[in-house]
Amino acid sequence: MAAFVPYTYFQCPCSDSSTLAQSSGSNSPSSAHPDPDDGGIDDDSDRAFDPRAPRSNYSLYPLEYLLYCEDCHQIRCPRCVAEEIVTYYCPNCLFEVPSSNLKSEGNRCTRSCFQCPICIGPLAVTSIETKPDPNLLAAPDSASHSGPYALTCSYCNWTSTEVGIKFEKPNSIHAQLAKLRNGGTSRLTAKERKERRKDPAYTSQRAAAGSERESSDWQEDLDLETQFANLKLFYQSQLADPNSADHGLSSLGDLGFSSPSSLSRIMSIYTGGSLHDKKAKSRVGAMREALESDEGLQLADLDESAAISRLRQEGYDGTASTEQLLEQPPNLGEEHLHGRARFTAELRPIPYLLRTKRSKRCPVCRHIISKPEAKMQTTRFRIRLVAGSYIPSIAIRPLSLSGAGGSFSSSSTTTVPGAPLEPLKPAHFLLTFKNPIFETVKVTLGTPARTPGRFASKVTVLCPVFEIGANTDVWDEALKDSSGSDRDGRRRRGKGDEGGGGGSGGGGLTNQIEVGKIWERGRNWVSIVVEVMPASLHLREDEGDLPLREEEDVLEIPMFVRVEWEADVGGDEVGSAAHGRDSKEAREKRELAYWCVLGLGKIRRS
Amino acid sequence: MTSYCRPAILSPKVQQGESKQSFPHCIKQPCSFPKIPQGRLLKSQRKITMSSKRHSIVPPVSQSGPKPPVQFSSSITISDSALLTGTNLIAISSESVIHPRAKLDSLAGRINIGRRCVVHERSVVGAVGTSGRITEAAVTLGDYVTVEVGASIEAGDTVIGDGTTVGVGAKVGAGAVIGKHCTLTPHTEIAAGEVVPDFTVVYSNGLRRPDRRGIAELKNKGQIRQIDVLRRMIPSNPAKFD
Ligand SMILES: [Zn+2]
Ligand SMILES: [Zn+2]
Ligand SMILES: [Zn+2]
Ligand SMILES: [Zn+2]
Repeated sequence: MAAFVPYTYFQCPCSDSSTLAQSSGSNSPSSAHPDPDDGGIDDDSDRAFDPRAPRSNYSLYPLEYLLYCEDCHQIRCPRCVAEEIVTYYCPNCLFEVPSSNLKSEGNRCTRSCFQCPICIGPLAVTSIETKPDPNLLAAPDSASHSGPYALTCSYCNWTSTEVGIKFEKPNSIHAQLAKLRNGGTSRLTAKERKERRKDPAYTSQRAAAGSERESSDWQEDLDLETQFANLKLFYQSQLADPNSADHGLSSLGDLGFSSPSSLSRIMSIYTGGSLHDKKAKSRVGAMREALESDEGLQLADLDESAAISRLRQEGYDGTASTEQLLEQPPNLGEEHLHGRARFTAELRPIPYLLRTKRSKRCPVCRHIISKPEAKMQTTRFRIRLVAGSYIPSIAIRPLSLSGAGGSFSSSSTTTVPGAPLEPLKPAHFLLTFKNPIFETVKVTLGTPARTPGRFASKVTVLCPVFEIGANTDVWDEALKDSSGSDRDGRRRRGKGDEGGGGGSGGGGLTNQIEVGKIWERGRNWVSIVVEVMPASLHLREDEGDLPLREEEDVLEIPMFVRVEWEADVGGDEVGSAAHGRDSKEAREKRELAYWCVLGLGKIRRS
Repeated sequence: MTSYCRPAILSPKVQQGESKQSFPHCIKQPCSFPKIPQGRLLKSQRKITMSSKRHSIVPPVSQSGPKPPVQFSSSITISDSALLTGTNLIAISSESVIHPRAKLDSLAGRINIGRRCVVHERSVVGAVGTSGRITEAAVTLGDYVTVEVGASIEAGDTVIGDGTTVGVGAKVGAGAVIGKHCTLTPHTEIAAGEVVPDFTVVYSNGLRRPDRRGIAELKNKGQIRQIDVLRRMIPSNPAKFD
């Protein structure tokens, strides 16, 4: 079993409908949250966050996944931001595709980028060398690579010659492939099809084929695209046909609809024709269906004996998996639906799906909170407001109290990181809050005394209110330290900063767990201790207890974090510029509050 | 290395983090691609993060154990830092190349290496497996066999057919019989005693498909060219092993 790694997840306010409704009503940060004066945690307990609720999985994110809107002063998650596409590009050749091309040519790379239909590895264009000629052996390098080309996968050794596809040129494979059907026969364009029909040899062959089957249902095999084009053409001609348009409901044409015939047809569909006399009904039915393959009719070929015999021959391994079929691009000169590829031997190369670069907008104020550089070759961002640079990160470390030093000496355990927690034995964890902003922040923590869920563990945050220093220049701190008396001076305990010099002599070893005291403090970070009493996972199955669910043995504590700080009144905000100039020194109280979940460890199963 | 058909177009490899292309995974098997962030995931859904630390899998090169009797063709190329050990005969036929730090172990039986084979660095031919069986012929490589870097072929009547490539880090179990012109893709594992028919590609955690390229001869030609280069690159010192 892999060792457990403690984790912290933050909740995005978008999952809480009440918060979102409030914050959308006003952009003021304080109104987006429960009133700070309401006494905080205790009053919140009725809506305490349950990390095990099924919905919670969708609102909890690691800090790295979260963004932050500077205008709303609120966390934004991938679920609630609005995304806009900046660029489309091919992941293989890295060419940007203009969105106009996208509309006409679809969302796949139209150059020569293909994936293997078997294993999705990238395909390379290779020349198919002719069989080695014994005369050429002397000078093997003189063989020119002019021959036909094929796509080959260097991983699974698939090659497009397996489906009978060869290319004449090594470039613009996409265009060449569109004209090729499996087996190498070229796909006819509509024009070529028409010309072929004029060919006397073809018509006689067609007649022969028709008589062979002793019926008139001989049809051309159309691929999907051609069939669709034929059908579309046919229906358009039907709609335009004046004979079918002129009937009982023609008076509706005066209503100003552009295509009265289509409207009346729709009307008759909904009314079922019962409103009209028989005559009108028969006239509505004047629009006929397609009857020939020229009109887009394709009879289903229900004879599957060929497929069955092939299945017998090739077995299960010869059939394409669902994933492989899903990867297959549609409409690429494919055969009719009924003859759709079902065997791996029929799969065609997959043109690469284009990828996108996206910018992200705040769902409430519509400001852009993340915008990548449009150019494909760079991975930089123009705007990227990540939550990690606004809200304190929380790191979790098990705290082992070595021997008699701890005031809770009875509870001292040798804590190995990732080791399971003993049920009903107090354990301590060090939470380190690191402040990313350039202001001193005041943090207030709130946890329910017992974790929600079937196995309620007791939780005590020993120091729920503390301040973290500003994220000032690292060198400021270093210089301050070296000029000071003690390098360890920054390792100050407790709230009183003056006590640092004396306390540092013993270092961290003699640190004692005291209620209301900070464990350790640094330039922009503070460590506090949380004590947990893990619940016993004892189940009474005879009393109908359900067995443990997945990850139910993980001790997770919900924690409400409120961060308060004072910031300069936003001078960069539009509209407040003039106002900001007057009161440049004015400070504004800011506040941010959110739930997060701390995964501390697994409780040992009894 | 073994590119016999020169790619007419070299597709540029994507290197930027965001647009990173997937490793040729198999789409026939369920595989866990990193999906779009879906918030917190259960343990079973979490992506396993690999340690970024690089470990060397090189066994310390030291001539330990007995010095085996050898039977070399005069045209072979063998680096003097290749590691030959064991008690049984190691026979290498003409024009084969043994890279530095390749290990041939004949403790569990005779090792036969055919003509124009290439045994790459850090590979082990004749690894004494779990069975510890001692047989007449521990490992037999046919002609034109390539054993790529870090691959391991266990001893015990194991046969690798002509023209077969044993991919990087692949493992062939004791007594397996690999047919001719097969390709074992990197990190493939062939169980002990398995029989792989001719022209099989083993890929993506053991899936198999026939190789229909029909380029065995071209491949051999490529091997000859490669050996040509290697002979000039690797200082050969067969005398060391006599
Ligand atoms: Zn959200
Ligand atoms: Zn491309
Ligand atoms: Zn492939
Ligand atoms: Zn906003």
